[in-house]
Amino acid sequence: MFEFLIHVSTMACLFGLLALSLNLQVGFAGLVNFGHIALFGCGTYGAAIAFANQWGPVAGLLLGGAAAALLALAFARLGRNLGADYWGIATLSIAEILRTFATNEQWLTGGAQGIHGLPMLFGSLPAPWGPLATLGLCAVLLAVCWALCQRLVNGRYGLALKLLREEPQLASSLGYDLAALRRTPLVISGLIAAVAGFLFAHYTTFVGPDQLYSAETFLIWSMLIVGGLGNNLGAVAGAFLMQFLLAYVPFVKDALGLPSEFVAAMRLTLVGGGLLAFLLWRTQGLIPERIGGRHA
Amino acid sequence: MISSIKKISFTLAMTLLCGTYVSSAQAEPVSIGAVIPLSGASATIGADQLRGIEIATEEVNAKGGVLGQPLKVIVEDSGGRPPSALDAARKLVTVNNVPLVIGEYSSGNTLPIGQYLVQQKRIHLNPASTSGLLRDLGEGHFSLVGLDHVTTKFAADDIMAQGWRKAVIIAPNNAFGQGVIEQFTKHFKAAGGQVLASIAYPEGQTTYRRELQQLAQAKPDVFVYSAYSREGAVINREASELGLNETPWYGYLLSMSTADSDPKTKQGQYGLEVNYIGPNGGAYQDAYKKKYGEDFRTTWNGYTYDAVKIAAAAINKAGSTDPAAIGAALKELGKGYEGATGQITFDANRMRDSQPYLKMKVDNGKLVLR
Amino acid sequence: MVQFFSDVLIRTVDLALIAVGLSCVYSLIRFPNIALVQYAVAGSFLALLLQGAGLPLPVAGLLACLLVGGLAVLLNVTVFERLLASGSAIAMVGSLAVTMILSAVFLVVFGPDSRRFDLDSHPVIRVLDARLTVHQLTAVGLTAGAVIVLALLLFRTTLGRSMRATATNRVLAAATGIDARLITNTVVFLSGVLAALGGIGLALKGEMNIQLGMDVLLPVFAAAILGGLGNALGAVAGAVIIATAETLVTNVNLGPLVGEPLLFLPASYATAMSFLILVAALLVRPHGLFVNEVKRV
Repeated sequence: MFEFLIHVSTMACLFGLLALSLNLQVGFAGLVNFGHIALFGCGTYGAAIAFANQWGPVAGLLLGGAAAALLALAFARLGRNLGADYWGIATLSIAEILRTFATNEQWLTGGAQGIHGLPMLFGSLPAPWGPLATLGLCAVLLAVCWALCQRLVNGRYGLALKLLREEPQLASSLGYDLAALRRTPLVISGLIAAVAGFLFAHYTTFVGPDQLYSAETFLIWSMLIVGGLGNNLGAVAGAFLMQFLLAYVPFVKDALGLPSEFVAAMRLTLVGGGLLAFLLWRTQGLIPERIGGRHA
Repeated sequence: MISSIKKISFTLAMTLLCGTYVSSAQAEPVSIGAVIPLSGASATIGADQLRGIEIATEEVNAKGGVLGQPLKVIVEDSGGRPPSALDAARKLVTVNNVPLVIGEYSSGNTLPIGQYLVQQKRIHLNPASTSGLLRDLGEGHFSLVGLDHVTTKFAADDIMAQGWRKAVIIAPNNAFGQGVIEQFTKHFKAAGGQVLASIAYPEGQTTYRRELQQLAQAKPDVFVYSAYSREGAVINREASELGLNETPWYGYLLSMSTADSDPKTKQGQYGLEVNYIGPNGGAYQDAYKKKYGEDFRTTWNGYTYDAVKIAAAAINKAGSTDPAAIGAALKELGKGYEGATGQITFDANRMRDSQPYLKMKVDNGKLVLR
Repeated sequence: MVQFFSDVLIRTVDLALIAVGLSCVYSLIRFPNIALVQYAVAGSFLALLLQGAGLPLPVAGLLACLLVGGLAVLLNVTVFERLLASGSAIAMVGSLAVTMILSAVFLVVFGPDSRRFDLDSHPVIRVLDARLTVHQLTAVGLTAGAVIVLALLLFRTTLGRSMRATATNRVLAAATGIDARLITNTVVFLSGVLAALGGIGLALKGEMNIQLGMDVLLPVFAAAILGGLGNALGAVAGAVIIATAETLVTNVNLGPLVGEPLLFLPASYATAMSFLILVAALLVRPHGLFVNEVKRV
């Protein structure tokens, strides 16, 4: 039981990182990204490709980070003159193109079978300590990224981002370079997602294109909406809540003696229904955005 | 606000934990686990895998269970996605503490859970996936289904025996299909044939006319194909619309490929089928028909049935639920176990090394031996 | 060659009506409603149920379309209108949530297996060197008919004028006495009917499946966006472009160029092709190929 708790917590930390990074785009900069999972994929495949070519994990992290930064820049370039909804669909398309690429190019990515056998983080430590150390690392990284995001959005820069989100024309007239203003959060967010991907790859020891379906992006979205758009703590809370709920649905089944199909329907209902319920009745999420900076 | 959320989620978690604890403390059956896709794209197959598990469990328990206790198979949904499949496997190992897990269906999910189970020194029984990478998983992993190099070799020889020398092949663009195309091409060439063209098609399209016509331009002696039931229906319909069924068609896993197809569009197809009705399979087939009121939905229920049965036999033989002892017993049983899917023997890597295949064809909407 | 055009035509028909519905309703509600692809699934399965209840297929189809239209209005009034108050991105995410919930409902009610209408067999007709079935031609006819009726409605009737007026300037339209909400819900109803008809057309050719909605989601969006969201007839052109691109990738033999008998681009990239065209088109023409609109930032 304890080990499972550690596992779910680790996954929650990883999804917390993803939610934080998506929040930076959606919550603060107003960038409706439906292809977020591709940035995560840069991280997983960076780790996997470095492993397959025996370049070592550090190279994997750098490779993933560089790929994610490039992809984020491409997203930003594409967003220079697109409306929010058009951009959302465009990012979704790019994520699908990259997934197709990963499925087809067997020489590089191992194709649909993916790359497996990546070394575990702290794999040499004995049973309870290895997973605990991994959880510790993920938690520390989550805290660091949270602090980074807080710093970023609370200062003058954060206000500029919110201005960009709410009144782009006004921001433009005040002399802000909108393109640059969008670029920075995208790249930072891409880097955070890549770190999450790198950790995920070395945690599950397997990387494949099935991990990059757009349904995963939508799951991160629902974490964000449930937790509270535009609030970093909310994003993390949403990720933890959703991750724990999804992981513990099977226990409800066991405890109540329900059929296994219940889990399938329940998961869909939790993600979709939770999302819709919050959108309708509590748009601000569990932990609402604080309006007007830190002193409000 | 925040603290109240924490409190709520903590309470929720604790309730769930205690609930599980109580329920597992009440009865003391011997538990094994299974991870199958009950939702997602392969849900039809997962549902059929579940049927095999249900019949096997009933039979085992009707004959006194295992180690004097009833056998319980804890079935978890993989959602057809690797993170959920891993969650399920981890739950089975760390919470239910099962010595053995059966699963999954698609190679993309079977590989990661197999790897995890082997790391945890548990037994993993693969009831469906055919990817050659499974061979490298290591001690503790057993495959109950012949991997793709065994099956494709059989298909290649069977096709050559029909006198068809020039083939084209189309299979889904996933871990299964890519493996089939690669292995089939290799074996067919080795047997002296020619693969003129191959296509890995994306799943879930509304039409495959373009792919089929590309293959038709090669003017093959035979179309070799493999498809999940849904795409199989589209491919068979469009092939007959385009008149391509005037050329012979060979279905790799014929029942899966033709399950949803209109009978008129699949008439006369040849193919191979894994032998789910082994010499001892008749009784199982009757039990299935009786319980669910229809013929086998897919090929895969026989393998989960055999997985549960052989697991129960191994636990009884080992006399304990220690994974290492069960593994040793499985190896012993694997020298010749009579399953519903035919005789099961393992090679040195604990892979099923021979599989009775059936040479089938479609006649009036039914699969018959040829 | 004729076969090539017939392939393009058939794929176009698969996508066109849903894309038209999407585009049409976007001009008034200003967010791309993802749930529309599920209306197509609902349409085909409702028609199947009604046919099973003993109605002849045309009646069952018509009734299913009307029911789905009603569902679209219901969802618009209860869900999307409220969400739109928080912005178009929120509404779009909301439509995604509705899509997931509908998936769960379909799974429980209809199950995961493919089904087909109770129809006579599919006799093949040869048109020059192309081979088509009666049901495919019916689907083509239905699509063409629906698009023509829609065009007439938009450009020849008072209702159409009010729709276009509301789409262009809601405030001004309201000032001239147009009931914007009524007009919007009429268009929402129409979009539901179009999507359901699209779904029935798809099922008519062969089989229907609850996954179909998610399967056509991206190509339909690509078609609608290429044509310019809000431009209903542009969506048809978008669908033609997508279908042509996919068919070119899979069917043009590059072999003669390099002196080999057969050489094709990998067919597994056919789906990616349409997304690539979409992204490229958006880079050049940010609001789709057929819309001249001022920059909305």
